[in-house]
Amino acid sequence: MSIEEKVSNYKKTLEIFPNPQEKYQYLIEQAKKSDEFPIELRVDEFKVNGCQSQVWLVPEEKDDKLFFKSDSDALIAKGLVTLIAAIYSNETAEDIANSQIDLMEEFELGVILSPARRNGAFSMLKTIREFALKLTD
Amino acid sequence: MIKVSDIKKDFPIFERQINGNKLTYLDSGATSQKPNQVIDVMSDVYKNNNANVHRGTYVLSSETTGKYEDVRTKFQKFINAYDSDEIIFTKGCTEGFNLLSNSICKNLNQGDEIILSEIEHHANIIPWQMAAEKYNLNIKFINVDESFNLDIDHLKSLLSSKTKIVSIVGESNISGMLPDIKEIVTIVKSKSDALFILDGAQLVPHRSVDVQDLGIDFLCVSGHKMLGPTGIGVVWGRKELWDSMDPVYGGGDMIEEVYYDKATWAPVPHKFEAGTPPFVEAIGLGAAVDYLTNISMNEVQQHSDSLREYAKNKLENIDGLNIIHSLSKNAGCTFAMSIEGAHATDVSLMLDTYGVAVRAGHHCVQPFHRKLNLDATFRATGYIYNDEEDFDILANAIEDSMKMLK
Repeated sequence: MSIEEKVSNYKKTLEIFPNPQEKYQYLIEQAKKSDEFPIELRVDEFKVNGCQSQVWLVPEEKDDKLFFKSDSDALIAKGLVTLIAAIYSNETAEDIANSQIDLMEEFELGVILSPARRNGAFSMLKTIREFALKLTD
Repeated sequence: MIKVSDIKKDFPIFERQINGNKLTYLDSGATSQKPNQVIDVMSDVYKNNNANVHRGTYVLSSETTGKYEDVRTKFQKFINAYDSDEIIFTKGCTEGFNLLSNSICKNLNQGDEIILSEIEHHANIIPWQMAAEKYNLNIKFINVDESFNLDIDHLKSLLSSKTKIVSIVGESNISGMLPDIKEIVTIVKSKSDALFILDGAQLVPHRSVDVQDLGIDFLCVSGHKMLGPTGIGVVWGRKELWDSMDPVYGGGDMIEEVYYDKATWAPVPHKFEAGTPPFVEAIGLGAAVDYLTNISMNEVQQHSDSLREYAKNKLENIDGLNIIHSLSKNAGCTFAMSIEGAHATDVSLMLDTYGVAVRAGHHCVQPFHRKLNLDATFRATGYIYNDEEDFDILANAIEDSMKMLK
């Protein structure tokens, strides 16, 4: 599934929940269901700066595809980073770097996805993009 | 007694709905909302009087200068300063502390000591750390005890002839702690010749402050936390101290004579106000002072005390809620809170869905959070436009959020 298709699917799911509270509950569920994150990877090297809670994103390269492990000490942020990691995992660095899709625009997630540049979600996306760009150089 | 329903009518922001709920604004510790009286006076100046202050020899400039300088006198009366020239306008408390640390510390000797407390806002820590590094000074911190108040015996043990500055918070933005400033100033002055600086960021908006009665040397205030606009604050200091101090910022309006190789300074307050001041913001602050004075600061204080009492009982009844709040009889209406197993940002995001605005993080008091082994807390503060219903809504929303975040 392409990045665009995955975004479109999540968008449809999120639209089922009419208010921010239910959307947050959905993210909390995603956080609880997410793969276990190895505690030894909770290190500064993988920490995403600019988030109100602590967020970690670990990129891995397997067979020319990128995969992201993610974690946070806050549930809603963890749900969001789980979603973002799923969207950009199993994709080539080139596809990630070339993707024009703007999650901030696509997802209506209230204050956690407001277009503020000092926002945690913005930093998560920037981290993924920068990693992909480094590999496509 | 304050009638909150009447006060709310002056604040247009309360017409807003947040996520389908009425706005329950409990983040006045970060910034207060603004009444029409402040908003209108600023708009009125821009529409009718706007001209730069002090130098213009025409009607508009003379009107604006008059309005701007009147605020100095208003503020003098508001805090019972000796003289209106003692009121220096700044951007806010942070600039106030930077001004004081830069101007005072360069005249200190290596090894001299500055005493702060463990629960200070970063604005009352970092400027002193920067000065301490530059001039080889030492900083010591008064312990905060289990009741979230200052350990006065510890303060006594820290004071010596080396102590040159004691700078502490008047009302904590974390625990609501209200140190007995008069008692502390007496202790400090009896054991040292230190200057006493009071952080009035949270204190001045909520309680009547009389600088003469307190016996302090300097007071820093932020306008935006007391119904005024952002970008304006005050540092008050005794005139003889200001006279003996050097300016920190150079530029227009702070000089008497300028030559290519030297300059002489204008008298206080202008010596410390280089460049075009935020005069419209200052006039807005004047309207905020008028607003609070019309209610009376005694009423504001009583409202804070009774709201604190109500909120304290309400929050203490929530199982599993950890409250960082002064255990003293008197404290500000400020409650930092944490929930075992739930992150403060999750709680505050959930509360937002109920229209409840609280802050999550370390509230610029990171070292104290570290001492308590907490990454972050969420904080609720009450002000004149909050009532018991706001804390009922908060308490219910906290209980609901706890269930959802389990």
